[in-house]
Amino acid sequence: MTTTDVRPRGRWVRGVHRTLTGLHPALESVLAAVVGLLVGAVLMYIWGYDPWRAYWALLRGAFGGDYEIASSIARGVPLIFTALTFSICLRAGMFNIGAEGQMYIGAAAAVCVAYFQLPAGLHLFVGILFAAVAGAVWSLGPALLKLTRGVSEVISTIMFNWISRFLVFYLVAFVLVDPRQAQRTVRIPVSARFPILVQGTDLSYAVFMAVAFALLVYVVLWHTAVGYEVRAAGLTPTAARYGGISIKRTMLLSFALGGVAAGLAGAATTMGLPPTFAIISGLPELMNLGFDGMAVAMVGRNHPIGILFAALFFGGLNAGGRVMQFYGSNPVPLEMVRVVMGAIVLAMAIPELIRLFPALAEAGRGLARTIARRKPATEEGA
Amino acid sequence: MSQTSNRSDTEKGDGYFLRAEGISKIYSDGTVALRDATVELRPGEIVGLLGENGAGKTTLTKILSGLLPPTRGRVVSPRGQVKFASPREALDFGIGMVHQHFALVGTFTAVENVALSHERPFVPLTLSATRERLEGLMAESGLKVPLDVPVEKLAVGEQQRVEILKVLSQNVNLLILDEPTSVLTPLEVDELFKLLRRLRDEGKAIVLITHKLKEVGSITDRVIVLRKGAVVGDVQMAEVTKEELAQLMVGKEIGTRAAQAVELSTDAIPVPISRHKEEAKRGSGVLHVENLSVAGDTKSKAVDGLTFDVFGGEIFGIAGVEGNGQTELVEALTGLRPAMEGTATIHEKNILGLDPRQIYKLGVAHIPEDRWVLGLVLPFTLAENAILGVHRWEEFRGPLSILRWGKINAHVRALMERFEIQATGPSAPAKSLSGGNQQKLIVGRELAKDPAIVIASQPTRGLDVGAAQYIRDTLVEMRDRGRAILLVSADLDEVLALSDRVAIMYEGKFMAVARPEELDRQKVGMLMGGVGVKG
Ligand SMILES: Nc1ncnc2c1ncn2[C@@H]1O[C@H](COP(=O)(O)OP(=O)(O)OP(=O)(O)O)[C@@H](O)[C@H]1O
Ligand SMILES: [Mg+2]
Repeated sequence: MTTTDVRPRGRWVRGVHRTLTGLHPALESVLAAVVGLLVGAVLMYIWGYDPWRAYWALLRGAFGGDYEIASSIARGVPLIFTALTFSICLRAGMFNIGAEGQMYIGAAAAVCVAYFQLPAGLHLFVGILFAAVAGAVWSLGPALLKLTRGVSEVISTIMFNWISRFLVFYLVAFVLVDPRQAQRTVRIPVSARFPILVQGTDLSYAVFMAVAFALLVYVVLWHTAVGYEVRAAGLTPTAARYGGISIKRTMLLSFALGGVAAGLAGAATTMGLPPTFAIISGLPELMNLGFDGMAVAMVGRNHPIGILFAALFFGGLNAGGRVMQFYGSNPVPLEMVRVVMGAIVLAMAIPELIRLFPALAEAGRGLARTIARRKPATEEGA
Repeated sequence: MSQTSNRSDTEKGDGYFLRAEGISKIYSDGTVALRDATVELRPGEIVGLLGENGAGKTTLTKILSGLLPPTRGRVVSPRGQVKFASPREALDFGIGMVHQHFALVGTFTAVENVALSHERPFVPLTLSATRERLEGLMAESGLKVPLDVPVEKLAVGEQQRVEILKVLSQNVNLLILDEPTSVLTPLEVDELFKLLRRLRDEGKAIVLITHKLKEVGSITDRVIVLRKGAVVGDVQMAEVTKEELAQLMVGKEIGTRAAQAVELSTDAIPVPISRHKEEAKRGSGVLHVENLSVAGDTKSKAVDGLTFDVFGGEIFGIAGVEGNGQTELVEALTGLRPAMEGTATIHEKNILGLDPRQIYKLGVAHIPEDRWVLGLVLPFTLAENAILGVHRWEEFRGPLSILRWGKINAHVRALMERFEIQATGPSAPAKSLSGGNQQKLIVGRELAKDPAIVIASQPTRGLDVGAAQYIRDTLVEMRDRGRAILLVSADLDEVLALSDRVAIMYEGKFMAVARPEELDRQKVGMLMGGVGVKG
């Protein structure tokens, strides 16, 4: 019945072909990363830096040893969460730009655990819960605006980012402020901190929460009826409605789950970030993690597993970038790393580049065919 | 052009317009869609391209029109090898294609869509000229469409007409039509065929894909038959008998079911299939509709005060030209569109204002007319699509609402077997299925619910002879088991053959409700055109 009866050799070739096609998305991400790094190299060259030495420093700074690897992972942890925020909503068919603001709110909520005392494990758990709930509640604003008034979530989440930014500025400066250290909030008590995983580094047990949450999102989206509904609504809303799926419900759910993820990013950057375990005024530890998460989501192909790898890569860029700027005779400013990140995102977004891949494959196949035929006699015209 | 083509292997010289030589196509998932297929298209000839669902017809025409590159083989014209990097290049070469799944911009009107297809860089679009050209074409071809409505708001049959008009408006030398008639009424088909014959006489080459034997017999000069990707027949119509043609279409391993179908549908009798249908044993009322009015996207009253009942054990057919309110009626009854006034009940429970999920719970199955917009989530796999609408059934869910993919896959395999859905497996994406197999998936999913009432729009759209007959048999068998069936179809033969009562719909109203025996085609034709018939 089916059209699968082909010679064994053909089957083998097709097997390889299929595997490559399956890897296609991952290869595209890798390609984009390479293009980004190349663009960075060209710019460094133009500005008179030595790209090879800079990248060498970057690589050593990111993955050159236990300490470096640990800090790279630590920088990836909040990105995992904020990337998940973006991806969950994208899978549901929405552009949620609000991870940044939801993360601020989550962080502020986490700091509140400093005002009461609980047994060690429970205290930590309550803090996580605070952050998650706060992030989710904050995300409901744009969600409800969209559902009731049809306000584009792109606009409203950006507005909410600003609101939460100044709200948290205010909270840090006046409400949660440490009376003895006016440049930061009160510190999270030891009983509510994530234990340090690798001593002397930023890496805490928050990384396990991040990985577990990514796996949870994977299970929810691909293995539960609710996740099925979310993905169906995101891909073909008309067919989803036909299938008895309430689009409003999937929107609300995905926004809320995204808010939880962003809130957890706030928890990870306060309760899980030594040495301060507090929010510093001006939010330097938090700033832009939400936006970087969108880049991570893109490179990770909006898949929780892909995001884990992409977050590690971006964490490495951040950690290594810091080393790069202090590197001996060839100090390259940290901004260069951000240029590389930008170039990667652009490369992901350029469809032509992505089409380059099949085109290259086709060209290779053509070449192989010509070689195999070894110069066929001219067939056309004469 | 250079006349110095000294090819020795060309028996017919330059009598052809285009020839595909030794074409093989292997899709990226490893499906072999075409095997070493060679076809030649000549000017002044209408070629019927036949074959079962999934035989490779669409694939072949996509290669001819530059939409897909072949894996092996080449396309040549008398001037040498041709390679189209895009449909645009194919169009410049004089090849136009009417797609099985329309290539229209949903938010654009018919005029804008047609203008877009003429678009060239740096040449301003001329909407008024396009409109004039379209109006001329509409008169010529008998295919009428609303010109100023976004095409996504049109019924599938109307979109089909826009798609055909779009290609007719191009001055092409090779016209490929992939199942253009599956949602057209017989009258429209007649008009279209008249136009095609004229184009042929002007020297155009035409390729027509269809699953309707009658059409093949009436218009083609030559037929090419594909089976599992290989060309298994290439014969002049004048040289074959009807029986041979039927053999070719269904394949040599004719099952009884398909054989009957072919035999019957070649008959001149307009009511073929009802022959092996038992007399209806009408049960109690299932669907009751009273004074129902529904607003359309473009009309204030697309459905205008309809009152009717559908009983258990009966097939109630609605015939009519697409775009006369059938779509809106079905959508209102399935929870996809609000009603303006009136009542509708299933088993005496109100269904207006309910959402689709609640309506399905009352035992409704809905086969939608538009498989790409409503029926399928195309990027989803076969398995994911097979549970659309039933994904919350207990048997598919474990604790915590975890989907039991094992059970779901077993369910899908059963569907694939029963409805002969050709695919690499449950994890194949739905968009990689051929059009007919996508339809089988939807119909299979809905009929497997074993519902109290089936609301079926164009259920056999795009199905090959055997599959269509199987679906019809299944509908009749469900009727015999006391289920109610509301059948909406542009295929007049099908409606007349299957239905126990037929309503003819025109501009939101029923022109007549009658038993099929009381109607002849001419009468129905007039009613569908809005001409009342007395007596
Ligand atoms: N994009 C794709 N990826 C993988 N396989 C595909 C793809 N498109 C088609 N196929 C497979 O190729 C085969 C031929 O498909 P094609 O669409 O050409 O059939 P068809 O003859 O047009 O059938 P139908 O009458 O149902 O429209 C089928 O087995 C189909 O599943
Ligand atoms: Mg097809």
